[in-house]
Amino acid sequence: MAFDIKYKDKSNKSSIYVPEIARINKIQQISPTEKIFDIVFEDDKNQNNFNFEPGQFVELTVFGLGEAPFSICSNPENKDFFQLCIRDVGNVSGALHRMKEGSKIGIRGPYGNGYFPYEKMENQNILLIAGGLGLAPLMSLIKYILHHREDYKEVMIIYGAVNPENILFKDDIQYFSSRNDISICVTVDNPDAGWTGEVGVCTKLIPRVDFPVENTCAVVCGPPVMYKFVIIELEKKNYYPEKVFLSLERRMECGVGKCNHCHIGDKLVCVDGPVFSLWEIKNLKEAI
Amino acid sequence: MLYKVMGRDVFKDFVKSLISDYEFIGPKKKDKAVHDFVPIKDISELDINYKRTTIPPAKKILFPPDEKLVTYEVNEKIKVRPLIESSEKVLFGINAWDINGMNFLDRFFVTDFIDENYLERRKKLIVIGMDSEPTETNFSPSMDSEYAKDGFDLYLTELKDRYFIRINTARGDEILKKYAVTEDALVKDFKDYNNYMDNYRKKFKLNVNIKDFYDNFELIYDDDEFWKRVAKNCYSCGSCNLACPTCFCFNVKDDIELNLKDGNKTREWDSCMLPEYGLVAGGLNFRPDKENRLKQRYRCKLKTFFDKFGRYACVGCGRCIEVCLAKINIADDINSIKKEVSV
Repeated sequence: MAFDIKYKDKSNKSSIYVPEIARINKIQQISPTEKIFDIVFEDDKNQNNFNFEPGQFVELTVFGLGEAPFSICSNPENKDFFQLCIRDVGNVSGALHRMKEGSKIGIRGPYGNGYFPYEKMENQNILLIAGGLGLAPLMSLIKYILHHREDYKEVMIIYGAVNPENILFKDDIQYFSSRNDISICVTVDNPDAGWTGEVGVCTKLIPRVDFPVENTCAVVCGPPVMYKFVIIELEKKNYYPEKVFLSLERRMECGVGKCNHCHIGDKLVCVDGPVFSLWEIKNLKEAI
Repeated sequence: MLYKVMGRDVFKDFVKSLISDYEFIGPKKKDKAVHDFVPIKDISELDINYKRTTIPPAKKILFPPDEKLVTYEVNEKIKVRPLIESSEKVLFGINAWDINGMNFLDRFFVTDFIDENYLERRKKLIVIGMDSEPTETNFSPSMDSEYAKDGFDLYLTELKDRYFIRINTARGDEILKKYAVTEDALVKDFKDYNNYMDNYRKKFKLNVNIKDFYDNFELIYDDDEFWKRVAKNCYSCGSCNLACPTCFCFNVKDDIELNLKDGNKTREWDSCMLPEYGLVAGGLNFRPDKENRLKQRYRCKLKTFFDKFGRYACVGCGRCIEVCLAKINIADDINSIKKEVSV
């Protein structure tokens, strides 16, 4: 070796590719294509040591099939289990959807040095903008904020879904609507006969937000196509780029900055992100 | 660093005893143009005077093309165990730019997270370097890689009647003491060595102006015409990645045995040139165009890691130029950027 290696944590010298065994404790079907999985580590020690930040992700192994990254959607303050909201769309997610409660899976993580910077958001108004499944990673932040509600000013969620039946976390949304310290506005692209709410894409609602930009943080997560249009709207309102946070999706094979699939310019989404500020993204061509 | 000299007559016995005492890997002639680093059982198989650098490069010893990382048993309980293979080996006859390639990988695989699979192999690899003749596509002096400052145990340089030896590690010193008779290098030896290096550097005919490329990269970044022209003939085959001594991208796949109980996680080399490199579940591809992928490859090689580590992720070995089916020439492309921006 050309230089000495300094281990940050000497006790943990095992392979970074070995998952810990965990169990799917509960499965809830929350839409035609999404399920929420409650996950608990088999080993209590692993469960106790598992602390994550809102916006971080885990690498989930379906043994014999493969591994994929998923954002955590539960409250970081909940130490008994954590939750993943997963759409049935790929190999691993498809297999997960066929699994039953009690099934064993492998978990590595949590990963991502770039998470939602909730400390920086303290004493700020929080505008959360979610599109489709993008609500899942934001859910972790929303629950954290509600847990520490007094540290934040006004909180508003704008959520866009394709159809009313695709609206995720319906119970949570109902609960948020019942609270008077958080406002939520849900819009759908294709309303059905019973829909009485907003219609159209979520960007349409941004002009109506009247938070003063100098003490407002915006947090965005949604399908890649959504970011460009949300950023246009936020920039029209002169939001500060260092106060806008976006969670990005890329292909990941390792989650630990080695396989390089998630690189954008000089950054890696897995270790530098997945959450970036708009300022960072503006300096990263091809990020959006 | 210690400096010693060894008589030419001693060399053969030195190598023979290493072959008999160690798992010994060295260059062997594969066909008339290509040498490969393979296990050597007898000194007659070894051919140090290789010119066409080995393809694939010696990184395959540290970072095999496919490697089992994790093994597991799926029963009532699931047992998971890391697989970290490590046996002491001698890598003999690797040249300076390939050592520099390994030095890059060393830094890469221990940054952020430490990759024990790589590190264990690297720690147990005894590296004995020797210069080899550059090919006409080699531009390693431009990349500051034709000379290895570190990353080896011993480096042997062949002078007229003796070998000038640079000893970089205590391990290398012990090996040399055990297997060869040497003398301390004297002023004359150093002078001859310096002369040799001056002449050696003259053998590299290809130069690139990497500084210009680096300085102008952001300027040319959005010039779609330029990148389309560079990537026009690219087949997206990934040969350049396979031949590269610093490429490290990989995929991880899970396999299960026919008994449906035992399985492995295996990593295999991937290529950033392949269309499915940026493909995610749901069918979205973040890098669907070949010009975009080639641009990212050049960025990774010639900018990203210079900013991160202070060294380029390209050692100028020229393998990618030789293996490219479409005759894409990274040296020409680096040199063309200056012309491009001055027009």
